[in-house]
Amino acid sequence: MSPVLGIAGYVLREAASRKFIMAFMVGLTLVLAVVALGMRIDVIDGALAASRLFGQEVRATIQSVDVALRPVYQASAFIVFYGGILFGIVACSDFAPSLMSPGRIEHLLALPIQRWHLLAGTFLGVMTLALGGTLYGTTGLVLIFGVKTGYWTVGPLVAGLMACVGFAAVYAVMLTMATLVRSAALCAAAGFAVLVGGIIAGHRQDIAKAFEEGVSRSLFQAVTLVLPRLSALAEAAGDMAASLPLEVRSLGTLLVGVFVFGLGALVVGFWRFEGKDY
Amino acid sequence: MEKRQKRRVWLVMAALLFVAAAVLMFAGQGEEPAPPPLEVEFPRRMRQPDRERAERRRTQVLPTPVSADSGTVAERPRPRDPLLAALPRGEGKTAVIIEANALRHSPIGGLLMDCLMRDGGKQLKEFREKSGVDPLQDLDRLVITDEGMMLSGNFENARFKELLGERVSADYGEGARVYEAGENSVTRPDGTTVKRRDTSAIATWNNQLLVVGKSPDEVKAAIDRVEGRGPDEPPAISESSTYGEMYGVLSVEMLSRLIPPEQAALAQRLRDVAKNVELHLDASSDVALVAEVRGPSADDVTDLGKSLGAALSLARIKAQAGEDKDLAQLLDFAKVKPDGDSFTLEMAVPLEVIRERLAICRENRQDAEAALEAKEAPREAGVEQAPVPVR
Amino acid sequence: MVTVTASTPAIEVTNLRKTYNRAFRKTGNIALRGMDLSVPRGSAFGLIGPNGAGKTTFIKSILGIVQPTEGTVRVLGGSPEDARIRARIGYLPERLHLPGSWTPTAFLATVGRLKGLPPDAAGHLSLLERVGLADAVGRKIGGYSKGMRQRLGLAAALIGKPELLVLDEPTDGIDPMGRMEVRRILQEEVRRGTTLFLNSHLLAETERVCDRVAILADGRVVREGKLEDLVRGESRWVARFAPGVSVDALGSAGFVPARADGVFHVEAPDATALNAALDRARAAGALLVELRRDGMDLEAVLLGTVSAQAMRAAEVAA
Repeated sequence: MSPVLGIAGYVLREAASRKFIMAFMVGLTLVLAVVALGMRIDVIDGALAASRLFGQEVRATIQSVDVALRPVYQASAFIVFYGGILFGIVACSDFAPSLMSPGRIEHLLALPIQRWHLLAGTFLGVMTLALGGTLYGTTGLVLIFGVKTGYWTVGPLVAGLMACVGFAAVYAVMLTMATLVRSAALCAAAGFAVLVGGIIAGHRQDIAKAFEEGVSRSLFQAVTLVLPRLSALAEAAGDMAASLPLEVRSLGTLLVGVFVFGLGALVVGFWRFEGKDY
Repeated sequence: MEKRQKRRVWLVMAALLFVAAAVLMFAGQGEEPAPPPLEVEFPRRMRQPDRERAERRRTQVLPTPVSADSGTVAERPRPRDPLLAALPRGEGKTAVIIEANALRHSPIGGLLMDCLMRDGGKQLKEFREKSGVDPLQDLDRLVITDEGMMLSGNFENARFKELLGERVSADYGEGARVYEAGENSVTRPDGTTVKRRDTSAIATWNNQLLVVGKSPDEVKAAIDRVEGRGPDEPPAISESSTYGEMYGVLSVEMLSRLIPPEQAALAQRLRDVAKNVELHLDASSDVALVAEVRGPSADDVTDLGKSLGAALSLARIKAQAGEDKDLAQLLDFAKVKPDGDSFTLEMAVPLEVIRERLAICRENRQDAEAALEAKEAPREAGVEQAPVPVR
Repeated sequence: MVTVTASTPAIEVTNLRKTYNRAFRKTGNIALRGMDLSVPRGSAFGLIGPNGAGKTTFIKSILGIVQPTEGTVRVLGGSPEDARIRARIGYLPERLHLPGSWTPTAFLATVGRLKGLPPDAAGHLSLLERVGLADAVGRKIGGYSKGMRQRLGLAAALIGKPELLVLDEPTDGIDPMGRMEVRRILQEEVRRGTTLFLNSHLLAETERVCDRVAILADGRVVREGKLEDLVRGESRWVARFAPGVSVDALGSAGFVPARADGVFHVEAPDATALNAALDRARAAGALLVELRRDGMDLEAVLLGTVSAQAMRAAEVAA
């Protein structure tokens, strides 16, 4: 286990030295600051009188705060979920390929660690990074909304954590892609493909009806059966943020399933990496 | 080979993880397992029951034609189905046969019956008494052609003279009687009688066939065909096409008339490209329709098939999106299959859908029957009783 | 548990073949065509050969970085796939990539941790001193020169006192003074009993450090053995005479003029023949100033071997 943690530490140290991550943190802080300053929500006796965004009124009717804010929280949950995963794909696509670059990979492979330790450690390091960034951003959002409206909700935080699980599935595929082709661009492309596939898979029952009964429909259902149901997670996050009842039967099971998909993809990477020459 | 073993372990583990993930996600999302695809039997060819039925109907044996040079023994002509013989001959004709008897005993037949007997069977009873014909028992097949209509069945108890007695009639051929145009008394539902001038001609043949046509010549031509005096061309429907509860050929003209006016462009295209349409409907459980469109130019026909297929797909997606469940269900089974110079259109309606749609008829029928009984019962018992509504 | 005896070679390779197969291509690139090599324990072994001979592929094969297509590889009595074996190896790859924003101590600490060793800050500092980086300990690696990076790489290879040191171009980019230092460190290690396996284009360095050498050409070991045996000529001697000597007279004595003035070659299979030839020369009036065996340097050995190999290959092909 220690080598995995060692590699994870190696990756985190590497990330810390990258300007990109710093730039993101700064950017995120800026966005939070802008939201905090630009949004004015007058709370009168627990009822929302008017909210302004950059000087223009957003809502005109007087409603209780939580009801009025539901769409806002729902939207922010979606933005956090999809935005987070998209950012993760772009920001983290280079970690694995650079780890496998000549001069580095030979040194690492000659060390007394198992090959799968390398991949597992990279995965762990990147996920730690993702979790850290998510917690920072979503906690900021929660604070802003709470301070502004007096209504505290952990919706964005929950959405962020669910996005992390979704990102785990996506990044596992990206990492496995790196064992096939050492290219950050292709890794990112693989990540996008899984994201799109995951969005489709979440709506598979509805989309299946568009297919003609027969081979094409069965094929579609078979393929999407294995893909991570990312859009279902996003909708659940939105529902939770808006305090609406969940449409999925068991969120916990779904989350575990998505994570297990990620593990499966990672193990495919182990398989591939084990036999690869560098 | 330790490395290979290790790799194999990883691969197996990955497979197991993917299976576990699929199961967990499936359970977590709460999808209903996809209902087993409705197996619909499309009528595509003769089956054993169809063959047996066709054989049973070969009841007519034409007299052996005497050859010009006597002495040679001509082949004994094979027995044939007189109704098929009566059909119009040649291409481009319309002839659709409805197997009334088979339909009656099918599930959909039961549903249709409920609708027919909405009033508790009063009208049917009256017709039976008047004509001597029980449509539910004595009618076998109903044929619709360009020229008119034909019915086959057992018309021994038919009181033709009473029904058609006011018309001029004459014997024709060997077993036929032709009733020319005349006046008919029609009883309206409110009880009044009205005389109407009916220009159609009717012919009966051997208490087996009833031919209704636009003019006496037409019905006579039909009788000629039955009795072997017709042209040599093959009938519009051959015996090998007599499968399904409804089958036949539609001329393109007839087909385009059936298309709603909103789809005029499609109708025109059909007229340009197609030569004829052969269709078969199977109602033994679900209702399945197969229509084969043929045309002289393979390319045009294929194009038309593709357009139709695309239109169906579009309509299906629209129906899904628009939550029109019935239409969506109908179109779920709609398929277009191109095949050289023809294409086949398949459509099916699950029985459940029809049952739901016609459920109201059943309710009405049950109410009406209960009401009838209630009316008769107090007359017998002599006691006034409030009718009990039965659901 | 592998019993290690003094006689177990540090590296033993039999019929090692490696073909790099590319997807969608029928034939692959054959890097090693059946190598047999044995590196004794405690030796300083040098691998030389022209570009494309397969040296890097060989080194990767003995470290498990590349999987052989055929043949066996034994390192320190075990398989390089075994992590426990790799724990006893120190490796310095060619063009080692070092993270620019780290300090050298952080880098060594990470390598130590990945080697499964307990943290040893003092030990790492003394290693850095040993390789001559004591002054640059506080600076980030990004500010290091090429030579400094190589030294750091060497220090990383030395962590954990490995039994086998595999070095790929260890003195690449290091100035002559630095090279001397590195040579000294390597010789120290050999004296301690560490087996040294070196791949270097700097043949002079290889000559100075190694006691055994293998020449790799076209995926095969062409010549292998003790350095002194390889460079020694067979029966040729070089004699330098004082100026004023008669070339013809010396020629009849068996002395062939060499390139430089006054320098002659003579073939003499043993001491008797040599002395007889010298007597003849002196009788002709020549004054002997210098006498030595006509040895080759490693470069000449390499060139000679490779061209002979090429000629043989051409003959076979023809």
